[in-house]
Amino acid sequence: MKNTTRRVARILIGLAVSFCLCICCIAADLLRRNPVSTRIDIWSWNVAAKCLDAATPAFEQKYPHIDAKVVQSGTRLQSRLMLSLISGVGAPDVTQLQCAEAPYYVASGRLMDLTSVAEPYEKQFSPAFWANCVHEGRVYAIPWDMGPCAIFYKRDIFKKYSADIDEIETWEDYIALGERIYELSGGRTKLFPVSVGGMGSYFEMLIQQARGGIFDKQGRIDIDSPATRKVLRVLRRMMQSSARADVGVFSHEFFASLPKENIATYPIAVWFGSSIKDYAKQTSGNWGVFRLPAIEPGGLRVSNWGGSVLAIPDQGKNKEESWKFIEFALCTRETQLVNYRDHDLFPALMTTFDDPFFDEPDPFFGGQKVRRFFASGIEDITVLNRTKDWNEAMRYVSQALSLWATSHWDDEKFIRDIERELHSKLKRDIAPESNQGEGL
Amino acid sequence: MKKQSDSFWGTVRKHRHFYLFVSPFFILFAIFGVYPLVFSLFLSFVKWDGLTGMTYVGVDNFVTLFADRTFYVSLWNTVVIGILYVPIMFVLAFFFALLLNSRAVPFRGFFRAAVFIPCITPMVVVAIVFGLFYGTESGLFNFIYQTAASLLPWGPVPPIPWLSDSRWVKISIAILLVWRWTGYNMILMLAGLQGIPVEYYEAAKIDGVTRFQEAIHITLPLLRPMLVFCAITSLIGTVYMFDEVFVLTNGGPGTSSMNFGLYLFNKSFVDFRFGHASAAAYIVAVVVFMMTLVILRWRKSEMAIQ
Repeated sequence: MKNTTRRVARILIGLAVSFCLCICCIAADLLRRNPVSTRIDIWSWNVAAKCLDAATPAFEQKYPHIDAKVVQSGTRLQSRLMLSLISGVGAPDVTQLQCAEAPYYVASGRLMDLTSVAEPYEKQFSPAFWANCVHEGRVYAIPWDMGPCAIFYKRDIFKKYSADIDEIETWEDYIALGERIYELSGGRTKLFPVSVGGMGSYFEMLIQQARGGIFDKQGRIDIDSPATRKVLRVLRRMMQSSARADVGVFSHEFFASLPKENIATYPIAVWFGSSIKDYAKQTSGNWGVFRLPAIEPGGLRVSNWGGSVLAIPDQGKNKEESWKFIEFALCTRETQLVNYRDHDLFPALMTTFDDPFFDEPDPFFGGQKVRRFFASGIEDITVLNRTKDWNEAMRYVSQALSLWATSHWDDEKFIRDIERELHSKLKRDIAPESNQGEGL
Repeated sequence: MKKQSDSFWGTVRKHRHFYLFVSPFFILFAIFGVYPLVFSLFLSFVKWDGLTGMTYVGVDNFVTLFADRTFYVSLWNTVVIGILYVPIMFVLAFFFALLLNSRAVPFRGFFRAAVFIPCITPMVVVAIVFGLFYGTESGLFNFIYQTAASLLPWGPVPPIPWLSDSRWVKISIAILLVWRWTGYNMILMLAGLQGIPVEYYEAAKIDGVTRFQEAIHITLPLLRPMLVFCAITSLIGTVYMFDEVFVLTNGGPGTSSMNFGLYLFNKSFVDFRFGHASAAAYIVAVVVFMMTLVILRWRKSEMAIQ
């Protein structure tokens, strides 16, 4: 009896071992044929997230072993990312960053060094944008979309008041036109929206046109310059003009004005086109764009506002796959063209500019070739030295501008005050006087 | 001594099951209450941006804080906004509480809910609605104001820059706060009113006391503990108020509506200066703690006199 039991036990063990071996062989074969997919999480926001999501099927077709998952992270992505980086867990494999905040993360050393893989693509991107991704000569992010600026205008209002966009060369011409429209419309139509609290964005746009900056190449405070004075002259003229609508950019009133007659133009960046299409579909065909006015005759008529980059947090475990995703999404001409065609995200990848798509007329803008319009002149955009504390510095500038406007400070007081504040709060040196005014 | 210690641990051991049952609270309190307090005290003596290493800087964060003009501006704005909205809110809350405590008012339940609803409405929705009300060019308030003024003999008036003027912006925030928090305080006062025995009022009625005298001599004194509680919560709420200012003005124009709560947020999660933010939080927490003590001491001494 005992021997029989032992025999049965041996047979059962033999069968179990054979069964396990078979299972292992089958599993190994399956794995060889279909390797286990690696999942990568990508954090992004609204339109950009939709855009990446749309690119995912093509990416997964090219790399079947990578499962890319786009996560809509909302506007507080920055805080979530920050907390994940501090705690050492929870950061995504790939993250989108605003262009202005990218330098902070780039300088933190918490992003993967992409220098070796990204170098071949450097020449294909706008230099003004590439600069945001580089820290001490190393590349930590790849530029995605950029925001070349222009004036978006409503054709019917310009026609009604016989306004000619070709007559606008400088900001002075532009404001004078606005005052004429204000008079002719009996005060109903104003030319541009600027609120006291929203001058920071205008300052950033104008300081590029004036070839100035807040910091010099060494990161020293360089705001006491002729460029800043020129910008302040334009801003003061704007703030005191009857052509100004006291409406904050991106406020509810701002978006509500898009289909209406109360504001005629919007000095803003290319990405604003998609907002107009969302908020004022019924105005299709009534819109047009023209170049930013220059600060002085013959001056620069291009600038940049906003844009974003993609980066790989260093705590991710799938860095190779993450880079493949970025390479596919941003360094591939076809993907970038789809991004622009379907989601109005203007590519920083300049090799896309020779595509015939850029020469197609846009019916929403009255048949104007707006894509070609925005693509030309990009190489002239001033490279700003966005330091790691750029966002903080811009907040102080914006706050000081509000005081300058409401407390009627003179320009010199503004410059002295903001220079002192930046020096004390950011602990940065002030550029020597000999350097000042040279810009970048 | 040894015997005492033994007896202490012996008692703990004897009652270990009871300690086990109350331990979840103490564990959670230690993790989410004590640890952040101690860690932020530690942070106030270091320089840390969250990503790179910490550097011990001694009292440098406090020195920088006291030299920061925006810190004083934020405290001043907090005081001004508090002065603008707290008294009005208290008077309105007391008035509504009296009104909705009266049996003479029909649909009391509905009105109580209606007054309370603003404080549970999501702030984002409130901000959108009030943003449309406060618009300078085409906001509802200016539309009403300008339409009404145009009917008067002195004719059209310029619009009020509700959110783009350093003085008006504080008033705009105060209006929103009164609208939002009156209902909350009203419910607290209503609870206080319902705790007052009706016998006092019956006795007063026999003595021929008027409604006004009733409110001054019976209701207010007996409601004082609840009013003190409301005052303390309003004080703390005003100092650490954040979402109303953040979504409506983000502290602007300039720093004219930046209150202390927003200052802390900006220093922590925008500028990533955790040491500086912790120093500011500790300084203000000490001030709030002392003010609360003063209010409680005053209340206690008054009770002793009575």
